[in-house]
Amino acid sequence: MLKTILNQRGKRPTGANPPEAANPGAPAPGKTLRVARGLATPGLRSALALQVARAMLRLAFIGLAAMFVGRMISGNASWPLLGAALTSLILCSVVGLVGDRAIAKTKLKVANGLLEAVRRALAAASPGDIQAMPLGTLIAGLQRYPQAVAGLAVGHCLASMMLGLGPLLAATAIVAVSWEAALALIVLTPVMIVFFVLIGSAIRSGAEAQEKAFGRLAAQFADRIRSLPTILGNHALAREEDKLAVRLDTYASGTMSVLRIAFLNAGIIDFFSSLSIAILAVFLGLGHLKLISTPGFADLQLWQSLFILMIAPEYFAPFRRYAEQYHAKAEGLAAAAALDALVLDARPGLPAFKAAIRTRDLATKMARLPQTGLVAITGPSGSGKSTLLRHLAGIGSTLSVQPNLDAQPGVTWCSTDIYVPEGTLGDAIGWGNGPCCRTRLLLAAGNVGLLDDVLLPAGLDALIKAGGENLSGGQRVRIGLARALISSRAIFADEPTAKLDPANAAIVRAALADAARGRLVLVATHDRSLAMLAGRTIDLDVGNRQAGERAA
Amino acid sequence: MNESASPKVTERARNRAPWRLALVMAFAALAGSILLTGASVWFLGAVALAGLTPAAMTFNFHIPAALIRLFALTRTAAKYGERVVGHRAALTDQVLRRSTLFATMAAAPAVRRAGWQLGNQDRLADYLDDVEDVDYARLRVGLPSVTLGVAIALLVVATSWLIPLAIVPILLLIAVNTVGARFLARRAKSDLAAIRESRQTASRLLGAAVQAVVPLQGERRWDPMLNEPFEGHANAQARALVLRHRQTLFDMLANCLAPCAMLSVLVCAWLSGLRGEALLVPALLAFSWLAVGESVLGASKIVVAFARETAARAALAKWTVNADGLSRDHFRKHISSLTLDGLPRHAPDGRLIGRPLSATFHASRTTVLHGASGCGKTSLLKQIAGWLDAGDECVLGDGIGLGADARRSMSCFCPHDATILADTVRENLFAPHASDDELWRALTTVELQDRIGAAGGLDGWITQDMLSLGEAQRLNLARAWLSDMPIVLLDEPTEHLAAEQGKRILDALLHRLRERIVILSSHDELTPKGSAAVRLQ
Repeated sequence: MLKTILNQRGKRPTGANPPEAANPGAPAPGKTLRVARGLATPGLRSALALQVARAMLRLAFIGLAAMFVGRMISGNASWPLLGAALTSLILCSVVGLVGDRAIAKTKLKVANGLLEAVRRALAAASPGDIQAMPLGTLIAGLQRYPQAVAGLAVGHCLASMMLGLGPLLAATAIVAVSWEAALALIVLTPVMIVFFVLIGSAIRSGAEAQEKAFGRLAAQFADRIRSLPTILGNHALAREEDKLAVRLDTYASGTMSVLRIAFLNAGIIDFFSSLSIAILAVFLGLGHLKLISTPGFADLQLWQSLFILMIAPEYFAPFRRYAEQYHAKAEGLAAAAALDALVLDARPGLPAFKAAIRTRDLATKMARLPQTGLVAITGPSGSGKSTLLRHLAGIGSTLSVQPNLDAQPGVTWCSTDIYVPEGTLGDAIGWGNGPCCRTRLLLAAGNVGLLDDVLLPAGLDALIKAGGENLSGGQRVRIGLARALISSRAIFADEPTAKLDPANAAIVRAALADAARGRLVLVATHDRSLAMLAGRTIDLDVGNRQAGERAA
Repeated sequence: MNESASPKVTERARNRAPWRLALVMAFAALAGSILLTGASVWFLGAVALAGLTPAAMTFNFHIPAALIRLFALTRTAAKYGERVVGHRAALTDQVLRRSTLFATMAAAPAVRRAGWQLGNQDRLADYLDDVEDVDYARLRVGLPSVTLGVAIALLVVATSWLIPLAIVPILLLIAVNTVGARFLARRAKSDLAAIRESRQTASRLLGAAVQAVVPLQGERRWDPMLNEPFEGHANAQARALVLRHRQTLFDMLANCLAPCAMLSVLVCAWLSGLRGEALLVPALLAFSWLAVGESVLGASKIVVAFARETAARAALAKWTVNADGLSRDHFRKHISSLTLDGLPRHAPDGRLIGRPLSATFHASRTTVLHGASGCGKTSLLKQIAGWLDAGDECVLGDGIGLGADARRSMSCFCPHDATILADTVRENLFAPHASDDELWRALTTVELQDRIGAAGGLDGWITQDMLSLGEAQRLNLARAWLSDMPIVLLDEPTEHLAAEQGKRILDALLHRLRERIVILSSHDELTPKGSAAVRLQ
């Protein structure tokens, strides 16, 4: 799934990480991975200890069971051995349970920590940065990336540590019976690793070749589902169906050819683990028949040879578990890169930043705003009306000169992009105003003409869908206005009458002028009729011209 | 969808073969590993007992040794084969399923209603998760559970035949595990539903907050607004941890099954008075149980994958309720007038608005729908396009009634949020029969020739991300330019375009479509030359 999302994002995560591109051999861990590793460290230590304890107990169970069986067949059932085996089994299960839970808990801690980091980054980001983020990817990513990164930082990390410790433990157990057999296993390992390396590079080159050949076809299904209305509107359904079938097929066979090589990885481990059992069984058998006299394989008790035979597969088990984490690793790395690109890495300055610097002079001059009255910021589009308005509200800029807003109880924003909660119109108007009685809500809604809106029947009980998707821009502005009328805060309005039909625009203008009698109303607008109502006008065109003249 | 039923059946039949092969491979792999362990133990026991007597010299070890090697190779090869064949079968299934799913989704009414939800990246991601859960269900649930079930059943039979006494504890263990699995499946279902619910709520809240970031920051409410969505995510994580804890508990139970069965078999064999050589067969059986235990390791994953599959199927089925296909019965190449006779109008949310609309649109005269946003312009266009089922009997073409089906097959509808397909420019223009020359003329009309030339010409690959909103809109208009439908409906055609450019392109487009019935909607007072206007209240 993650892969699909990433493919749809057109490989931005990897492309946005220059150090990785410059040095593919040793990618510098991004902020996400650093944070995740930091969060994982304390939990990992105890999880690793539990894993080691479980591996030892499992070896103990297998060894004791082998001893019990061996002695039993030799005619001597030892009940204390059985008891010991059962005890170690129970202990192993309990430690396993605790260990698994410790891993799950550590993963949760990492995922939650990452979410918290994202939250902090979002809280601190400027609106320009946030609006520049691909919203859908951000939302889909927050549901999936933290877990994927936690899988890498905890699951994969543990598996790779156990890759070093697990075989060592198994070999040590075998040494107790026959160091020659243990040596045989250890000698086998480098051969296996050579195979691993060979196949690993084959997988990588295969995957790259496939990416090159079929990368474009990776997310075709998702893309066509997304585009369904467009396809239907243009009568392209039959053609797209045929194309999709062919492309899915091509992509599937491409994937299959990579999988065929990738499964060799697990195949090698299976091969060595099966082979070791077969070879050991035959050698140990020959030793029992006294047909060979290799030290360490001959003159063993039955329980000893059973012990070696049963422990040998445990030597290979950590390799298999590590190979199974291959996916977790790939997904985790991709998710970490994506999170870095999305939120956590610092981004360069955006154009808005420059505009902010340009308006700094103006803002300084503007630092004295009146306590009441309508003030209009005017100027041609692109002259920085909205930027100045944001600046005066102290949004998202470190350069922000703090105007005398601190003396006021705060600001109510009024524009087409205000937040509207899901629920009823009454909820939307009352939002952020604390508890307030229905009469006040009715009064405010009536003042901005929301009660007799044919498109929003049922008055205060009119239903508003999630994200206010059933509201028009005019309705949103008026909801913002009604909200502002209830509160006694200053009103900052960004193009409140743009894109409204004349009747709506008139209502909004009148309400703003009315509100300005008791408080500061600051509007950024290109609506002449609104600017005419203002007691004071800041013309950015004039300001900019003067600045330009000064510079010349 | 009756006509497509028969090919689906044959596809099903064809695709059964790889699954059968995968099942055979899975059985071979499991049998290989059971026999490898069992036979090795039996062999060691036999030679150890023989080694104590003069029989050692005559013991034929060649056959058992060869068998052990055979089992080892079978196990390795069959496991590899199982993985490859199983994945191939799953991928073949996936291709078939997704092709069919795409066709079914296309017939879903939700596609034509207001706001295509799967156009949102996050909803799409959820949907794809569901599709994937169903795609791989056979590989993750069906195959392993069948193999495991059969292996356990065989071992139970063997045990009850050889050591009847041991069957009691084993059945008890199996019963406990079954109860555990059922409990986990039930809990997993509700846990997964709760996780999905709180994630979706969190996503919705976050989406709404991000869209209102400027006002929220201005009002100093941005930081507290982030609390709720992130708490939702944290709750989902906590619930996932609960599920994970249940999984570990079940895994513990399942992992004990095989070792306990093994010890029971051995102890019961001993208690039944079997000694020496007679213990070798029970030992083989006992270690076979242990070998099966290797395959039980991921038992909780199978149960959860099953729960996911069930939930995913239910979620996918919701999309295709009341699916209706498109028939091409009443297609007419040309009509000169389209009349609405008292068409009841609907708002985007399905509510009736205003008085029923009566109007006539002529082929030689473009009609512009005016009205404030939210007054149902898009909905009216969709009604005319036959996308919304309403007022079927009120629409007449050249005086003859036109049903929704007929209108759908006769109209080119350009939604204002039209998407760019990840494909070549040529495919994106949806005009398979047009010549290259014509395609370039269309691109030139919408002033995209340089942009497309730079992106690799008609066969250059483009995606949504590569084009700006304005460029995407212009490509969308090129599609309308190339369309040969008698009715062309344009929803906000100049959105995202600079006023001058929008006017230029629209005039050229309307000139090209002058013989056709063209209706366009516009919220700013757009009035192309020689057009009629209808104002919606």
